[in-house]
Amino acid sequence: MRIIKVSHYLGLLLVILGLFMLLPLIISLILGESCSVAFAISIGISVGTGLLLWRFVPAGEGGLSRREAILLVVGGWVFASLFGTLPYALAGTFPSYIDALFEAVSGFTTTGATVFASVEAQFRGIILWRSITQWLGGMGIITLFVALFPILGIGAAHLVEAEMPGPQSDRLTPRIRDTAKAVWILYLGFSCLEFILLLIFGAPAFDALNITLTTMPTGGFTPTDLSIGAYNSPPVEIIVLIFMAFAGVNFGLYYYLIWKRQVKPIISNPEFRMYVIILVVSSLLVAFDLIRNMGMSLEPALRYGSLQVVSIMTTTGYASADFDVWPVFAKGVLLVLMIIGASAGSTGGALKVIRLLVLCKYAYRRILLAFNPRAVIHLKFGRNVLSETAISGILGMAIVYFGIIIIGFLVMSAVGLDHVSALSSVLATLGNVGPGLGLVGPTSNYLSIHPLGKVFLTVCMLVGRLELFTVLMLVVPSFWKWR
Amino acid sequence: MYIIVAGAGVVGLHIASTLVEGKHEVTVIEPSATVVENVRSQLDVKTIVGNAATPRILREAEVSRADLIIAVTHSDETNMLICFLAKELGAAMTVARVRNVEHVGYFLTAAKSPSAARKIIRPKSLGVDLFISPEVEVANEIINVLCGYCAIPLSNFAEGRVQIGEFRVEQEKIINKSLKDIKFPAPCVIAAIVRSGKTIVPGEGDILEQDDHIYIVAERESMDKLGEVVTKPQPPVSSVVVFGGGRVGLLVAEGLEKQGISVKVIERSLSRSQEIAAELELAVVVQGDATDRDFLMEQGVSSADAFVSTTESDELNILCALLAKNLGVPRSIVALNRTGYIPLAEAIGVDITISSLLLTAGKIAHFVLHGGAISANFVGGEELQAIEFVVSSAASVAERSLTEAGLPKEAIAGAIIHNEEIIIPPDNTAIHPGDHVIIISPLSSIPSVEKIFK
Repeated sequence: MRIIKVSHYLGLLLVILGLFMLLPLIISLILGESCSVAFAISIGISVGTGLLLWRFVPAGEGGLSRREAILLVVGGWVFASLFGTLPYALAGTFPSYIDALFEAVSGFTTTGATVFASVEAQFRGIILWRSITQWLGGMGIITLFVALFPILGIGAAHLVEAEMPGPQSDRLTPRIRDTAKAVWILYLGFSCLEFILLLIFGAPAFDALNITLTTMPTGGFTPTDLSIGAYNSPPVEIIVLIFMAFAGVNFGLYYYLIWKRQVKPIISNPEFRMYVIILVVSSLLVAFDLIRNMGMSLEPALRYGSLQVVSIMTTTGYASADFDVWPVFAKGVLLVLMIIGASAGSTGGALKVIRLLVLCKYAYRRILLAFNPRAVIHLKFGRNVLSETAISGILGMAIVYFGIIIIGFLVMSAVGLDHVSALSSVLATLGNVGPGLGLVGPTSNYLSIHPLGKVFLTVCMLVGRLELFTVLMLVVPSFWKWR
Repeated sequence: MYIIVAGAGVVGLHIASTLVEGKHEVTVIEPSATVVENVRSQLDVKTIVGNAATPRILREAEVSRADLIIAVTHSDETNMLICFLAKELGAAMTVARVRNVEHVGYFLTAAKSPSAARKIIRPKSLGVDLFISPEVEVANEIINVLCGYCAIPLSNFAEGRVQIGEFRVEQEKIINKSLKDIKFPAPCVIAAIVRSGKTIVPGEGDILEQDDHIYIVAERESMDKLGEVVTKPQPPVSSVVVFGGGRVGLLVAEGLEKQGISVKVIERSLSRSQEIAAELELAVVVQGDATDRDFLMEQGVSSADAFVSTTESDELNILCALLAKNLGVPRSIVALNRTGYIPLAEAIGVDITISSLLLTAGKIAHFVLHGGAISANFVGGEELQAIEFVVSSAASVAERSLTEAGLPKEAIAGAIIHNEEIIIPPDNTAIHPGDHVIIISPLSSIPSVEKIFK
């Protein structure tokens, strides 16, 4: 383990991060906001520290080992979050540093949980920075880093593997750097398309930019207090809905569609099918419940129901209505969707559809084996047989995921939340969704939670974004020893 | 370039890692999921689990856009089938490893004289562009080493008129002298110095030490003269003991027999010794274990001029060579599969190691180069490669000198062949289209070297 080597690359990462602060700096200068000083200083600190680390810490010989890659990924996220708080801290946005850190981590992990009492009262520059953190975190800062710099050798593959959501990501191209480039180009392309569409359908330019920056990463920060509901505009809602749904699909499938012009890999992908089925069925269920128990008519029930289902399942966290006051069953469906989450290789979070699929098949196999113990049954994903190692990995991940939910539920109860708020706050942060139910519902925020609770949720967001083990490994003492 | 490697055994893995270092796009196909897992954690390549001899898997690997497919699975027949299918599906170039000498016999034309290189013919309908037979390569190399003047094999360029020779520094006159103080009897370029396993790109001020290996680029005629300055001449070989009657051992014994050298083959398995005894005319075949010191004494190994070990096991080969050395055999040659053992074997007293991996990789090397490369060879382990380029009129180096064209600093120009004239060392005059240029470059700089010849 060469921490020196890792710091060298962390320096480079900080420089990139600092350069992205230029955009809010320019905006705040144009609007003559006082936070421009905060951005100027933040850029100075990030780029300065980055250059120092990069220039004066030697890279040493050879590529990154697996452990070093993991340390770099987690270190990169922690550093990005710490330096990402600088603008908030320097502009005096939050009374306490913990709040600033919560907001920054919530940004980078694309959670979208906020501690702003009112967003609209904030500087435009700060709002834009908040959105940019989500956009960077969506496809992954480390993946962007790999796409930009050709210097890592085999370590690059370990890096992307540790950051990309989902069980062992499929390699699209022979060189991992080309894969990283491809997904970032797709991501950028989708973002541009959404921005243009939003402008055409009448969203104000600044709002359109912010919404775009938070839709594609399935983030959920909006420049308004009432989220997407504030615009009360069906075209905007439809555009946002479509792009959220796009963002929740494995980006590898788009690669086949656009670069290889093959439709079959998408249609025959079991995860994609399952994803669509869950979206449609849940939307109908929620709409049905809204009609029956809230007396809505068909059209608004479908409009609000489907947007909310897509927003929660892709772990975006936009709201077009206050779903906290919806009937119990509709809320129950949303709570379950928070656990399932989006597809592997997408920008969404939570457990992922593919794991749910494998878990179901695994349970079914156990039932079959119960009355015929000698049956040989393989779990298949499409035409491929899943290896027992892969199954055990998914099983382990699910166990730890639910374990953290239970522990989190207890912790949040201990800091004084009621049961619904406690459970949904853990689900919403661990799954990178954003708003939960009750105290942390869509029209409310995380401001009133005890600082200890905020720290715990901050860790949950980071652990959830990096899919548990990447972070949990670092806690194990033997990770740091040579064996 | 996009290259598919079918089979991730020792050779496949090695080739893939060399290619990745040369910044090529590589996909590895291998049937075993555990092996694939291992490849994934070591190399930045795409991996596919499956049988490469099926169209479905080949299509999955996008064989239609492949510039080269290298079939190095364990089975000869599979390798040939892979190449056939790949060619049908649109691969530009195919290479198959064929180990079985019997198979190779079909593709080789009969050699007229024992020392002449045997020509490989290509049956077009099979779709294989290049057959590699590591066993034959290793055997030829061993025979060359034993019969040549140079202690260590040469690589040929410009139809053999320019050679790169490897010499061990033995003459006291040049030890501890810097390169610029040594007077060489003929024009030459020092391409590399290998000191205790590390390759050094030489500069003028570098000082030679005892037992360094140096690589010299020179005309064929002056090679012997240069050799005399650096190294002590080797005594002629008249009797050789070959341990291991496998494919390599048999080929070596046959070759040496034809040169009139008396050969004794030691083979452990009785049935195999009977087989090879039937194949060989003059050589003596004995059945026994070469790790048994008394047995070796009894067979009079100590009076042999050279000991060659060619079994499948690297460890056994090294051990027996050391034992023979200890009994008083002046030269020991070891065939190795793994490259990792080469510095080790040389450090503990084996005189010459011959690695089938390096030979195989060298055979493939020039296929993956752009810009009119017509042959390539590894120099000094595997860190450097010597490449012969033909300059096309579109190349950026055409009508310019090498320095003007931006030859990377780490790369050394070995020779320029202009019309019939050989220029060693190359001066800084302009290079014309049609000239041949020999460049020695580290692997990582090859892409930038290629650029100036594109």
